Amino acid sequence: MTAGTPKLRVEGATKAFDGSIALAPTTLAIQPGEFVSFVGPSGCGKSTLFNIVSGLLTPDQGSVLLDGVDITGTAGNVGYMLQKDLLVPWRSVIDNITLGAALTRGTTKADRTQAIDFAQRYGLGEFLDHYPHALSGGMRQRVALMRTLATNHDVLLLDEPFGALDAQTRFEMQQWLLEVWSETNRTVVFVTHDVDESIFLSDRVLVMSPRPGRVTDELTIDLPRPRTLDVLTQPGFIAAKQRILVGLTGAAA
Amino acid sequence: MSWRSTFKTILIPIVSILLVFVIWDLIIRAFAVDAFVAPSPLDALQSVRDSWSQIWPLTLATIRETVYGFVIGAVLGFLLAVLMAQAKTVQNLVYPVLITSQAVPVIALAAPLVILLGFGLGPKIVIVAWIVFFPVAVSVLDGFANVDRDLVNLAHVMGGSRWRVFLLIRIPATVTPLFSGLKIGATYAVTGAIIGELVASTGQSLAGFQRTANGNLDTATVWGTTLVMTSIGIGWFLLVVLIEHVATPWRYRATRRRLGFRQSSTHSETTP
Repeated sequence: MTAGTPKLRVEGATKAFDGSIALAPTTLAIQPGEFVSFVGPSGCGKSTLFNIVSGLLTPDQGSVLLDGVDITGTAGNVGYMLQKDLLVPWRSVIDNITLGAALTRGTTKADRTQAIDFAQRYGLGEFLDHYPHALSGGMRQRVALMRTLATNHDVLLLDEPFGALDAQTRFEMQQWLLEVWSETNRTVVFVTHDVDESIFLSDRVLVMSPRPGRVTDELTIDLPRPRTLDVLTQPGFIAAKQRILVGLTGAAA
Repeated sequence: MSWRSTFKTILIPIVSILLVFVIWDLIIRAFAVDAFVAPSPLDALQSVRDSWSQIWPLTLATIRETVYGFVIGAVLGFLLAVLMAQAKTVQNLVYPVLITSQAVPVIALAAPLVILLGFGLGPKIVIVAWIVFFPVAVSVLDGFANVDRDLVNLAHVMGGSRWRVFLLIRIPATVTPLFSGLKIGATYAVTGAIIGELVASTGQSLAGFQRTANGNLDTATVWGTTLVMTSIGIGWFLLVVLIEHVATPWRYRATRRRLGFRQSSTHSETTP
């Protein structure tokens, strides 16, 4: 990665709840267009880190910088998506995609045009007027990602977005996410329990450990892109997987 | 709606009501109950038909009391819930008053209301509203408490202001519980109106009409009037259910109805 102003920079951020440290001082930098994954067990502080970056939480110490600008504790600067799709049941697919606009300034014709464009490009064109309950789990997550993209933030925080999907759908969604990522030029920060998923998707994987939550290892994944099923059996993939697993289980012991 | 679901949602309830009438009729026949003790359903309905010209204007008056009181009570209940949802302190302040209001026996409320408001529409509307606002306020307050925290957080992360999140997420999330409250209120509303008529009326009312029939030992009319009162309650309940279907399409349909895209099947059926 070239040195320059990182897209996203977390500087010495810490957070404690009721005296127990959820996140030990953490510093990291993510470059523009990079795909970075965090893997770690429950309680390793990844959700806390996410909530600090998204502005839901204010760190006890430290700061968050987006393009060099301090955004610590302020919401509305990054795209955000969780395992729960959190689609609004009373809004149709198109109205869910434009939710960000509706929440900030009111939906314009341009927002709707963009939403229709996204939906048609990524296989949801037929379902613009559907309510979320009429969609499958995979389709709901697609809509949730479209909604995140439509907020037009450069940085997307994805917190286990495919955690609730079956293996088959999950793999389809991973490939689809890579397609969307390469076409839309966003910076993705991804959280998962799934080691394979983190390697398959990422440029870089950060391993986290609990008590206190912190980053314990970092490795660059230089497998060629675009990545297909074959990647999963390549030596580079196996080596990365082994190192991450050692990092995770070593920390748990 | 498919034929099957039409059958389930419309035909089965009608059959179950008819069944009640059949059992009623069988009991009257089996025990050879005298007509002045309890009439058969057909006799009760016949009595309604015979005095329809008297009953109809009184029914309209009862409907008016029910509707006015219901709407006022519903609006009041909703606004109270919105107010209480703003802060825990407000809720702690208002909630005891809410509970106390429902501990007051409604019948005992009528006399003071007549002294205050006279014998007109006033006391009946107040009584109906008094009964209706409570389930609405409690349901909507519950709705506010159960709004998905993650969804509200997401809305804030997306940059939504407090006001917009309230308008676009929190308020719409209370619509389903609101209708639960409205449906409970709808079944009680007519009871409130009749209590008002019983206690606070000079006689020109459905309740007064029934009392006169009772005095005349006209049992069929007594029962018939009860059937009319019940019908008002059922009609009002069904109307609320209908409004619910129109107001919350996402619960009953797969897709949003687009403007200008109305199905024209109903028109084609009416053309000869």
